[in-house]
Amino acid sequence: MDPYEIEFIGENRIISIIPNFSYDKIYLICGEFGPFRAGLPLNVPLWLAIMLKQKQKCRIVPPDWMEMDNLENLKEEEKRSRFFTKMPNAHYMVEAKLILGAAGDDIPNSAEIKTIIKDIWDIRMSKLRTSMDALMKSGGSYGRLDHLTMMEINSVKPLLPAAMDDLLRIQMMAKKPAPASLNNSTFSQSGNSQNV
Amino acid sequence: MTNSNYLNISDILVSNEKIPCKILQDLPKMGFLDPSATEDDLKVGSNVEIPLWLGETLYSRRPPLVSVDLPKIYKDAYREILNADACTIDLHKFAQYFYELGCYIAKYDIKGEVATTLVNTFKQRFRMLLAASVSNDSIGTMQPLSVSERERAAAAAATEHALSAWLQRGDSPLTTACMVANHRKRKRAEMEML
Repeated sequence: MDPYEIEFIGENRIISIIPNFSYDKIYLICGEFGPFRAGLPLNVPLWLAIMLKQKQKCRIVPPDWMEMDNLENLKEEEKRSRFFTKMPNAHYMVEAKLILGAAGDDIPNSAEIKTIIKDIWDIRMSKLRTSMDALMKSGGSYGRLDHLTMMEINSVKPLLPAAMDDLLRIQMMAKKPAPASLNNSTFSQSGNSQNV
Repeated sequence: MTNSNYLNISDILVSNEKIPCKILQDLPKMGFLDPSATEDDLKVGSNVEIPLWLGETLYSRRPPLVSVDLPKIYKDAYREILNADACTIDLHKFAQYFYELGCYIAKYDIKGEVATTLVNTFKQRFRMLLAASVSNDSIGTMQPLSVSERERAAAAAATEHALSAWLQRGDSPLTTACMVANHRKRKRAEMEML
């Protein structure tokens, strides 16, 4: 999948904005939002929030998780843990990128937050790579993807599933005592677990 | 590894790889198979290199007309290198279809060591695929990969490229400050890889 498609999926998440205009309820495919009252916070999809922000029609309320202390803790925990920790948001990277990109002025410490989120992302990506390598080395036939976000899972496709298919085929062939003739292919599943 | 289907092009290419065989019966009028032969007939005991598809067919005759030998990349000497460190071998030079051909060849190895070597080699070389997918020097890192490995690495590189393009896009993309990038802890991924 293309990262933009994942961004599109992530854009449906609801965030809070403070509009500077008043308007009736609006009816969208994903639901109805509003009524908009100037100065009163309300929840809208991320894509709408970004669009209104770009037109200078609202301020974006920083999401709860997008806060320095919170992220510092998260980063420490991510560094300490061998496994992936749970992210506050299933699309944290998409949300951070869009909000910080369009509404950096609404977020306190936006530059620091940008850096720390990128740090967390980098730590997770490097962990992902090393555990992929470990998974292949140990010959495990499945990996647990707990707490990985869609964007991160997408970054190992198609390499990891394809490589595991290949490995499985070679292993099947290795187990098979009877001669395999030309133009035969087999599939099966077995093995031990490994955290990816 | 591609699925071996009847009309799968890469599978056809694999079955066209030459394998060394020893002739077990006199084969009249088959001398053309051996370029060094002087006579029209192929004599018992001569060694020829014939395509896998022909070798398999002649071998499966009862009694077999040929005995199939292992290509040199699957023999003891190379197996030792592969088991020690598979990443040092340039598979593209030695055996373009290393894994695919290996799957066919393994059954002629009575001790069954070829199969183990194939699995080990694949596990070890996965690291090279990872490295090739993120590397800027794509020619250098892709060069030693076998055909199927190259396909994998190219697909992975495309994903990687799309992801970094996404991260860079916009007027205020999330990028690493160069001060942070030069800091030692950033090298973690590389250090752990090595």
